[in-house]
Amino acid sequence: MSGMAELAQVVGLNLRSGAEGELWAECDEAQFNSATKELAKRARLADLFASISAGVPSLTAVFSTAGHSSWLLLRTKLADDHFHSLTPAVHAASWYEREIAEMFGIHPDGHPAAQALRLHDWPHAYRPMRDPLAEMKSLPPGHGDRVPKVRGQGVFQLPLGPVRSGPQESAEFLFNSGGEDLVMVAPRFGYKMRLVERLAEGQSVEDALLLAERLAGISTFANALAFVQAAERAAGMEVGEEARRARSLLNELERIHHHFGHLGRVADSTGMAVPAAQYAALKEEVLRIGADLVGHRYLRGALAPGGLALQLAEVGRTHLAAAIPRWEKNTKRLESLLEDTATFIDRLDSTAVLAVDYAAQHNLVGPIGRSTGADRDCRRDHPYAGYKDLQVDVLVKSQGDALARVRIVFFEIRQSLRLVEQLIEHWPQTEPSTQLVTSKGSALGWAEAPGGEALHFVELDSNGRVRQWRARPPAVVNWHPYAHACASGNNLTDYPVIEASFGLSHAEFDR
Amino acid sequence: MSRWIALGLRSGIKTTSFPKAGDAEASNVPTAIELNPDRLTPELALAAASVCPTDAIVADGDPTAGALAFDMGQCILCGRCVRKAPEAFAYRRDPRVGVVNRGKLQTRVIWKEGRIAAVERGDGKPDPAAEAKELQRRAHRMFGHSLHIRHVDAGSCNGCESELQLLTSPYYDLARLGIFFTPTPRHADALLVTGVVTRQMHSALTETYAAMPEPKLVVAAGVCAIGGGCFASGPTNHGPLDNVLAVDVYVPGCPPSPSALIHGLLLAISRAEERYRAGEPNDGS
Repeated sequence: MSGMAELAQVVGLNLRSGAEGELWAECDEAQFNSATKELAKRARLADLFASISAGVPSLTAVFSTAGHSSWLLLRTKLADDHFHSLTPAVHAASWYEREIAEMFGIHPDGHPAAQALRLHDWPHAYRPMRDPLAEMKSLPPGHGDRVPKVRGQGVFQLPLGPVRSGPQESAEFLFNSGGEDLVMVAPRFGYKMRLVERLAEGQSVEDALLLAERLAGISTFANALAFVQAAERAAGMEVGEEARRARSLLNELERIHHHFGHLGRVADSTGMAVPAAQYAALKEEVLRIGADLVGHRYLRGALAPGGLALQLAEVGRTHLAAAIPRWEKNTKRLESLLEDTATFIDRLDSTAVLAVDYAAQHNLVGPIGRSTGADRDCRRDHPYAGYKDLQVDVLVKSQGDALARVRIVFFEIRQSLRLVEQLIEHWPQTEPSTQLVTSKGSALGWAEAPGGEALHFVELDSNGRVRQWRARPPAVVNWHPYAHACASGNNLTDYPVIEASFGLSHAEFDR
Repeated sequence: MSRWIALGLRSGIKTTSFPKAGDAEASNVPTAIELNPDRLTPELALAAASVCPTDAIVADGDPTAGALAFDMGQCILCGRCVRKAPEAFAYRRDPRVGVVNRGKLQTRVIWKEGRIAAVERGDGKPDPAAEAKELQRRAHRMFGHSLHIRHVDAGSCNGCESELQLLTSPYYDLARLGIFFTPTPRHADALLVTGVVTRQMHSALTETYAAMPEPKLVVAAGVCAIGGGCFASGPTNHGPLDNVLAVDVYVPGCPPSPSALIHGLLLAISRAEERYRAGEPNDGS
């Protein structure tokens, strides 16, 4: 049945089955290298991460193929802290390898651009995901890192950040410009690094879930859902039908408020004050209904292993049922007015283009991926929670510019509103779940976050405590081609539009 | 363009009447935890402390003799204590939870021979009343009731920024209160900090503060900035903002709601009063 199994046979792997929907293969590093390169031609490399087990480092590659719901995980133990870089053959592996190098001290030999990704002014010997955390308090001052810089007559470098102009997340962008044109933008990440995954190690799933909820504020629910599903799958825990539907409902509600906020920022970046205010008001309304439903505007505290931590409140049901038609009407009106406003469309059209061929090498996810021809959405491809019984349509465009990204978001708001409408027809009656995770295992968990696929891997020890948590939220993938898009013939004045149209989270990337 | 103006006008006024009147629209948002020492028993104290994921509720001792330390500045509002010991712990929904005095977020309940013997409401600073008065005088003199804020994200989850961005939305319209965000520290009266202070944001934060003209206020918004919350034990950060800068106003919450932020900012310029004190149940006003 599984196309994945056939694919694995082609590259000569012996498969064993893991958690439901997961195929595993273990091999030596040479075979890992050749098989990954071969698989990457036919399937999507969705993640590549390192683990340390009893002092022995290992690498795990995660693959997915279109049309098949199972995942293929390929793992190899490493003899020492080096491996052969996959990047020269598989471009999507580049940032994963750089992360592995700086966070675990496992080096990709032959990586063409192996500089730091998140750690600036950092003492190189200290590996944040591996060395004793207590040592970090007394680290010596770090070494300055190399910053890519364009040289030439009249070219100057202009830093933006890490402290930004308004109430925004901290990140730094180095503009290289000749005056008007953006020649190159070098983003510098890691200012917000809290080591969320490392802090979860040794914690119970219930406690680690609180950290997962705080990985990123505006994608709280999707990341927490991916995490808790991974833990449930690892422990072989069942989730009832009603709770699954309730999870889908909250997943869509989060998408709606995220997308309203996103469009508000895009409108604001083009100087459109009225739609910016209108979308911000819509976002506020969704957040209030979130609070009505679960007692938290960003839906924190709603999830529990085995289902939901609470019953969805009746008052939220009434408010939500009344709000949906209003939101539908408002969003339709805003959409048609924006489509009709030349000053708005002109700013987005052909701005920050990601060509389909270029984007394809990055295995992009979410609205950014779908605006560049990547036909993927894990609600449809790997149905989770209550999505098995829901019709999820995926709009794919190929222009890859800011306008395409915004149009996909328009579409997704409409679809999410429709899905919520369907879900509340039979209101999910959930009982608070009191199940505890006490068994051993490991598994992937995933959810379609507003920004795209959130893919989490969790390994539990024999007491059901977290031994390893690997979070790969969508921003980790989607920041990769950002600098390239910025330099696709744009001006400095386009930059606010570019950044808003991508709408990428720093908290998700830095973790 | 005229159609946009028409649309804006047609939408009417959405802005909350808070802080003049209550904030009925947003009243389902828990803003803090209230500990009622009168209803606390040693058993409830120990039970609540056993489920608290951060250091917001810490108890030592046994049912006969011991003490409970409560700190709203470490609370992420997960609600476990409310579920475990609803007799003594309850949600507060009044958004006026900001305090000038860190000690107001803390309380200590001591029991002996199985009974509550004493309640110490922490004050943190030597003389809170005098200190608050002094701040009031300074702020009056300083800013004449208006305020320009420079925000710095020192390592947050982006929840706090999302709420801050909504302050300028039609529902809250911060400008109606004479409060504005400013891009440059040179024009700022107050530094509003969210998130734990990460190793890599430390220098950007202190440089921003240094670039602000005197006199200046510092507001710690959200539990990460106040006590660290989930990330208090995180080795990548410099600990509570108190360790880095002298903080004038603390706004608890995870994240603090826009109304709570408004109250905190008004508190900073003495246009609002402290309402929250740990260990004192809501007076209902």
